[in-house]
Amino acid sequence: MELEDEIFNDGLPKAYYKQNDNGQYVLETDAPWAEKVSCALIIAGNRARLEEIRKAVLAGQQSPLCYYMEMRQMEPGMLAKAAGIVVFRVRRHLRPEIFAKLKPSVLYRYTKALRVTMEELKTVPNN
Amino acid sequence: MTTEVTAGGKPFIHHHSAHCESGVTSALFRDKGVEISEPMIFGIGSGIFFGHLPFVKWVGLPISTFRSHPGSVFRKAAKRLGGEFVTKRYRSVQKGMDELRRVLAGGQIVGLTTNIYWLSYFPNRFRFQFNGHNIIILHEIENGFRVSDPVLDHPVDCLTEDLERARFARGPLEPRGFMYYPLSVNPHPDLRAACIAGMKDTCNMMLRIPLPIFGIRGMRFLAKRIMKSGEKSGFKEAARQLGNIVRMQEEVGTGGAGFRYMYAAFLQEAADLFGSDELAELSNDMTAIGDIWREFAVVSARIIKQRGQSDETFAKAGGLMLICAGREKQLFKDLDKVTRKLKA
Repeated sequence: MELEDEIFNDGLPKAYYKQNDNGQYVLETDAPWAEKVSCALIIAGNRARLEEIRKAVLAGQQSPLCYYMEMRQMEPGMLAKAAGIVVFRVRRHLRPEIFAKLKPSVLYRYTKALRVTMEELKTVPNN
Repeated sequence: MTTEVTAGGKPFIHHHSAHCESGVTSALFRDKGVEISEPMIFGIGSGIFFGHLPFVKWVGLPISTFRSHPGSVFRKAAKRLGGEFVTKRYRSVQKGMDELRRVLAGGQIVGLTTNIYWLSYFPNRFRFQFNGHNIIILHEIENGFRVSDPVLDHPVDCLTEDLERARFARGPLEPRGFMYYPLSVNPHPDLRAACIAGMKDTCNMMLRIPLPIFGIRGMRFLAKRIMKSGEKSGFKEAARQLGNIVRMQEEVGTGGAGFRYMYAAFLQEAADLFGSDELAELSNDMTAIGDIWREFAVVSARIIKQRGQSDETFAKAGGLMLICAGREKQLFKDLDKVTRKLKA
């Protein structure tokens, strides 16, 4: 099955306005094709990026924090606000050698902001 | 349509709607006994708009919007229909949640602004970091709340933890626990005056903002950017940006063709209200424009799907948007003239 059919096959349709045969506007729930394609493109793009980052983390180029930030579709600015840590520090923590030296209190803030457990935050899923 | 019971024991009928904000506002009015449809609220609140903000990036993509600023539909519609609302923001999570429980216990349904990503009852395709999603809370249940989300076709349950996160999410346009509910609503609102005010405001926003990124000018600006984007930033990046525009146009609760069909529905209702043939004519025009927008979406989707192999080009997609801009300019000019003639 193609990705767009897969992600739209969840039984939660959205409503769209459409004219019926009398020219009156009514709501119907068939998603237009263009929407499915563009939505699938964005989601496929997100997944590909996440996978790329996961590999980079395993290769030691990025910190696991980067992976979880991407998973939550956040940016350093948003994560900084959510965790209460200054942006430039968040950006620094995306480097693995600096992330490895972080104190538990800082990690705790990230676990709260990203809603992951402490064990999860230290590694990324292996496959 | 599903019927639910609020904490006050009143029945609440859940209507499936296309857009979250107008859906929530119309549900709040309906709860107070004013029968008003979603497109009507959308039109009165001047929801239709266009803007392209190339310098504001959202996960690396510039923002193109087909609606006015989140929150303004509610604010304007409430003002024009003569409803007195309580609106509150909170600094403290605890205070915000306590206040919500207190109001719910009084039998009142409450509208909330939330972050759509943290509402876990949504499937993955809905979820992205957007802080302007509106929902209605019906009553409290065991470790959670009963939620009437106008975008879904039936009410759902939401965990307290999720709701806390969603209400107090950080980032652009922070909701800060924004909560609103009606104190009193005019039982016989002056719909005609409200419609006229809404339409006038829309015309001003579409035609008379002296900046090149809003209204009709914004459409032309974006169209030209799309035309050039293929050569300028490479196929992959250009397709990603185009995909984002199409997503903003069709997906994020627009009711199809970037709110154009919903506005046509509003014009149709307004035509019935005023008994005006000119408005009915404009409604048909709006539908035709919506069809062009949808064609733009289909062409764009083909470009994305074929990965450069098809006959469709970025120039064609941009050209379609230019046609939309030209026709919408004419439409809003006509609408401006028609509204001047209408009597409240």
